[in-house]
Amino acid sequence: MGGIPILSLTTFLPAVGALVIMLISAATGSQSSDESETGGRNTLLAGTFVSLMTFAAAVAAYALEFDAGDAGYQMVEDVAWFGNIHYKMGVDGISMPLVLLTAFLTPLCLLASKSGIKTRITEYVVAFLILETLVIGVFCALDLFLFYIFFEAGLIPMFIIIGVWGGANRIYAAFKFFLYTLLGSLFMLVAMVYMYVVAGTSDFVALEQFEFAKDAQVWLWLAFFASFAVKMPIWPVHTWLPDAHVQAPTAGSVILAGILLKLGAYGLLRFSLPMFPDASILFQPLVFGLSVIAIVYASLVAFRQEDMKKMIAYSSVAHMGFVTLGIFSFNEIGVQGAVFQMLSHGFISSALFLIVGVVYDRVHTREIAEYGGLAAKMPVYAAFFMLFTMGNVGLPGTSGFVGEIMSMTGGFMAERWVAVGAALGVIFSAIYMLRLYRETMFGKATNPKLEGIADVNATEVVTLLPLAIATIVFGVAPWLIFNMTEGAVLRILLPFAGA
Amino acid sequence: MLSDFLLIFIVLGPGLAALIGGLSKPLTGRDGLAMIVTTGTVGLAGILSLVQLFTYVAGLGYGGDHSEAAHHGAHIIHLMNWVDVGGFKADWTIRVDAMSMVMMAVITSVSGLVHLYSWGYMSEDPHRARFFTYLSLFTFTMLMLVVADNFLQLFFGWEGVGLASYLLIGFWYQKPAPNDAAIKAFVTNRVGDFGLALGIMAVFFLFGSIEFAPVLEAIRENAMVTPFAFAEAAPARDVAIEFLGYNVRALELIGVLLFIGAMGKSAQLFLHVWLPDAMEGPTPVSALIHAATMVTAGVYLVCLISPIYEYAPGAAAMVTVVGALTALFAATVGMAQNDIKRVIAYSTCSQLGYMFFAAGVGAYEAAMFHLFTHAFFKALLFLGAGSVIHGNHHEQDMRNLGGVWRYQKFTYGAMLIGTIAIIGLGIPHTSFGFAGFFSKDGIIESAFSASQQGVPFASLAFWAGIGAALLTSFYSWRLIYMTFHGPRAEADAGHAHDGDAVVHADDDHSHDGHNHDDDHDHAHGGEPHESPLVMLVPLALLSVGAIFAGLYFYDPMFHHGDAFWAGALYHAADNNVIHGIEDIKHDHAFEWVFWAPLVVTVIGFLIATFTYFFNRGFGKRIADGRGPLHLLFENKWYFDEIYEVTIVRLTRWLGDVFWKIGDIKLINGLGPDGVSNLTKWGARRISAMHSGYLYHYAFVIIGAAILFGGVLFIRNGGVG
Repeated sequence: MGGIPILSLTTFLPAVGALVIMLISAATGSQSSDESETGGRNTLLAGTFVSLMTFAAAVAAYALEFDAGDAGYQMVEDVAWFGNIHYKMGVDGISMPLVLLTAFLTPLCLLASKSGIKTRITEYVVAFLILETLVIGVFCALDLFLFYIFFEAGLIPMFIIIGVWGGANRIYAAFKFFLYTLLGSLFMLVAMVYMYVVAGTSDFVALEQFEFAKDAQVWLWLAFFASFAVKMPIWPVHTWLPDAHVQAPTAGSVILAGILLKLGAYGLLRFSLPMFPDASILFQPLVFGLSVIAIVYASLVAFRQEDMKKMIAYSSVAHMGFVTLGIFSFNEIGVQGAVFQMLSHGFISSALFLIVGVVYDRVHTREIAEYGGLAAKMPVYAAFFMLFTMGNVGLPGTSGFVGEIMSMTGGFMAERWVAVGAALGVIFSAIYMLRLYRETMFGKATNPKLEGIADVNATEVVTLLPLAIATIVFGVAPWLIFNMTEGAVLRILLPFAGA
Repeated sequence: MLSDFLLIFIVLGPGLAALIGGLSKPLTGRDGLAMIVTTGTVGLAGILSLVQLFTYVAGLGYGGDHSEAAHHGAHIIHLMNWVDVGGFKADWTIRVDAMSMVMMAVITSVSGLVHLYSWGYMSEDPHRARFFTYLSLFTFTMLMLVVADNFLQLFFGWEGVGLASYLLIGFWYQKPAPNDAAIKAFVTNRVGDFGLALGIMAVFFLFGSIEFAPVLEAIRENAMVTPFAFAEAAPARDVAIEFLGYNVRALELIGVLLFIGAMGKSAQLFLHVWLPDAMEGPTPVSALIHAATMVTAGVYLVCLISPIYEYAPGAAAMVTVVGALTALFAATVGMAQNDIKRVIAYSTCSQLGYMFFAAGVGAYEAAMFHLFTHAFFKALLFLGAGSVIHGNHHEQDMRNLGGVWRYQKFTYGAMLIGTIAIIGLGIPHTSFGFAGFFSKDGIIESAFSASQQGVPFASLAFWAGIGAALLTSFYSWRLIYMTFHGPRAEADAGHAHDGDAVVHADDDHSHDGHNHDDDHDHAHGGEPHESPLVMLVPLALLSVGAIFAGLYFYDPMFHHGDAFWAGALYHAADNNVIHGIEDIKHDHAFEWVFWAPLVVTVIGFLIATFTYFFNRGFGKRIADGRGPLHLLFENKWYFDEIYEVTIVRLTRWLGDVFWKIGDIKLINGLGPDGVSNLTKWGARRISAMHSGYLYHYAFVIIGAAILFGGVLFIRNGGVG
């Protein structure tokens, strides 16, 4: 299928689908705000179908076109745009799994919205599909400015999802997100412009080869880091995340945790390491320090949360700490572990937000104290929850373990204290996750609202099961991913060979 | 050795059974299928493992030649790749050598019997399918632990058994006490796993591998190794690495870190606090996991990596000291407990201490041998206690029991056998003795032999072993007398009698322990009854083990262990601890060493008989007297209280400080909230048109576009 621009196809398929859904919706004249229930369901199913097709396209791209033995960019499409700026798309071993992850999670999100989203369903589906296009675009873009457009535009649908279908305090959350992002984005844009001016190109491949002066690297590194740190998020610019999660609808949280949080780490892997290696080495102690703080601090804060989503949000901050730690270990084990941890977190954290969504749809509260004794009433739910709890605490056999142990091992190779600090976080993760599980699932159900609460329904099983399978399959056979990522990881580590 | 197919069946069969068991209840709505499949699979695995062990021993020409050079070839079945990144390589494997054969036999045979026993013990529980599923899951993960050929699969089993233990301790999840205990067990084990994980990383750092064979080989041969990112190679035993600002010998560091893991899993002093609480789980669980198998994983680990401790004297000394102190400490606490299961739990803790100090002084055979025999008699004691609890309407406070032998003669007999086995009754220099006699005296003799050879802290270990033997005998007989002898106490004494209420008021924890009447309410005050046959058969079979396991395996596993272990246990050239026992035997000046355990055991028996048999009020008077020593023992040396006010509170406090001060006040206050207040104030003045958040974003995009366009314009104009 040499002639087919499969990446562009995958990227824009959801957007085209969104357009069609909008047109059909306009043609049938159904006003979005007072859609009939079946109309809404059909729209959701149409959206799910489009995103499933996108997943099929991504899988086809991987299965037919991707060559694990090629460390560079593949399936490259290159069209001159204006000036030296190109519409250039391509994937390597790091972006390929992230594209797959995005395409994998979006249909699950749409399916999971069936019971929670009752208003403006057409707009909701459109927002999700456009978000999917933009995020896949970020992972495929091989040009600075193309990347920037996808990267920044991706936030618009996320804002809308939080702002329209979010909770009571959604404006505050969105505003907070905005403030942090604004800060980072401006620095990044300025840095990109500088790079373009100095290197004379905005092509990633060329920029990877270009050697920036050391002092310039320092500033460029910092500018990019400002943006990526917010997206990760890294302590201390993480406080938007708990609010955004709490206010977002379930599927919004899933996408936020599952995919958008990966943009920061992806940026570090795409820009900071290969393009500014000297600065990366210089700032290694800083990143290590922030990572360990993130892991320990966020874990302890998670332990004290009363809101289920906030707890999982803080847990995400801690888990992203392992990612930065692994990336900045500059060795194969650490970086492979970090990439793996990104994907694993995409499964487990997403699943945990879905898990919260299941009971939220029934009881309409996320207060831990309102729950208790669910295990007796919802045994299948309890089993899923236990599996993802264990994945989140990094139990060996789940994908969470592989990412954590390898990031830590990578860290150990670089600096012993980093691994010690991160390992402390592994203890704390057990404390907060088991507390959450105990207080919601065990004990006796005392809250009258929980009477007659139903176990997971078929749709919920369909959304949770793929994530459960992924958590176990990649925990037992992580080489499925490592084979894909190995070449690209070694490529970006080339400048660090002697470090 | 069995065929590969059978070996794979033994290890993976219980896992598959757990899967079927877990799915069967939702699909069929009944418990029977899960019970049959799990019990059948594990039982068959148990028979196969025992056949394998006995065939292996028979093949050695047991009792015979030990001059043959040890070889350390293990049979390895490769199941699937797992991780292989930058030298960090670990596969799913089944490694069969003497070590894993012994462990497989212990795990599957005890597990099979516990499965069977649970048919009776759990017969009234509505969640039997879940229970049997967890039991089989445990068996599977424990087997994966002992057949690992690399540290990572060991870690899989290690945390997997932790999960199974957590699920089973908290099996009765509607009550608070089991939930607390389950979390405590998991988290305390995680503290240990913190060390274990770092130890594995240190192993990789030093050797560039986490597979047992190359790592242990490098230490045995003192091969040249190049630690990660080091410029030069150095002999494995000499390498020093930086760790938290200290320059330490890598082997010592690895030894200490891995031992911290072992301390957690095997409930050694400071990390022991979870084990007594774990008694909240159903009693068959206590027998299988918290006595016979899981808690011995730490001992197994230390013996498995014996080459490390052979060349890390500091770490080995730590093993010795912690083991010795635990043996003694736990025994003191065991004397003052009233809950029948807690007595046995502390007894387990104490016996594990014996195993550790044996390993610490270099007598790995003694440690493994005791691990093996202990599994049988300790499982017997627990299952016997379970039979008592089952027959006495879930009463497990020994003060409310008494006179039970009249009603449960078979159980009484089994408990007597278990007790005689654990106190190690036997006649020195002869083959007359129960299992514990051979293995425990072997440990005490090893410690003495080591002390004669100047092994650090070996004499401390020896005396701790003698002291703990005295206490073991005392608390074991105390248990027998309080439970089985004397007048029959009212079954519901604690609830009806004013007199007893006084005792109970001072003793909160025992209340948690004995309200196990869960979903199935018995009529209180009924006659105690003997347990059903399905529970008595396991007792009978374990009794056979408790009597004969020591006698039969003394020669192959301990006395002439070289051929049996075939290099799986390693001794440095200067480690003559085991052979030194022969020298001591031939020296009449040391004759007392062989009689000392028997003498203290008899003394302990006599004291217990005097205070709890002939003079039953004596124990109660001591308890009522509330002497400082008794309070100390009864309250477990206040470890829980100390941890509560230090570590637990500190964790909570830090969480609150980070959250409420760090995040909310400082970061939000100075960051987004502060800026937003400022912006809001400004925005109101600039424009009243814009509201909401979308405009903010539009602002960024437009601003960015202008900036971008401007730069492009300038550049194009400038460059031409």
